Amino acid sequence: MPETGKTKIVLPERIQRGDVIRVQVVMQHPMDTGFFRDANAAIIPAWFISDVRVRLGDTEIARFEWTSGISKDPMVAFQLRADQEGILSVESRDNRGSQFRGQAELKFATT
Amino acid sequence: MAVNDSIERRAFLQACGIVGLAVATEGLAGARQGLAAAVRVTRPGPDDPPIPNEIVQRIFTERFQGRTVQRGHVTLDMPTMAEDGRYVPVIIESDLPMGADQYVKSVFLIVDHNPDPLVTAFHLSPALGPVTIQTRIKMKRTSWIRAIAETSGGELWADYLKVETTLNGCG
Repeated sequence: MPETGKTKIVLPERIQRGDVIRVQVVMQHPMDTGFFRDANAAIIPAWFISDVRVRLGDTEIARFEWTSGISKDPMVAFQLRADQEGILSVESRDNRGSQFRGQAELKFATT
Repeated sequence: MAVNDSIERRAFLQACGIVGLAVATEGLAGARQGLAAAVRVTRPGPDDPPIPNEIVQRIFTERFQGRTVQRGHVTLDMPTMAEDGRYVPVIIESDLPMGADQYVKSVFLIVDHNPDPLVTAFHLSPALGPVTIQTRIKMKRTSWIRAIAETSGGELWADYLKVETTLNGCG
């Protein structure tokens, strides 16, 4: 069974201070538009993630406004300047008020 | 417009550098190619697509307050024929600077003929690297797509693509 709201952050395996790294965020969510019908012709209500916040430590570094126009099981990737270590977290909220969170540790390679 | 000027100057200097290098190594033919590649700050293409409907007009009014949107500095990469309107890959790139005093504040993705045309807005900060945003969106039908980047100084740069879709991904 899919676990709605499960958020996974993928970082490169080896990160060195100052690298520009690719951060990929994958979430599980139906992202229903509210325009489709099920097998019994009943409307499937809109259900989608509308707000995503990316933080490094306590600092908010990005915020995404989403609509149901983002595909089911959303994926977003962007570039981050790895100037400091810390917990990279992604918190999101859907239109039903549910909140989800995922995190990854940004750590510099020791060797 | 100081920002524009400096960017154009940089592009020009880069062009000169490439020309110089090319002349030294490959002669005049190479120089012409180098020049053509380096000075292309804005991509050649059809004229900017007109605003198609009131909803898109409202988005432009609310988000851009009638400021001019110029083509350039942003590259929208999508398949021109999207087979499945439920999953259309999008890559938005920009060569605009991402520094503490000058950065890309927001990136807007507008699908003209979707029920909710402003599919997403990404609000960024200088902590991020150069703009390369990748995601997947839904499309209801064949439509112009607009990727618009807003700089911290309030300039608006865009790229447009017409993407054809057969399978309705929005319902």
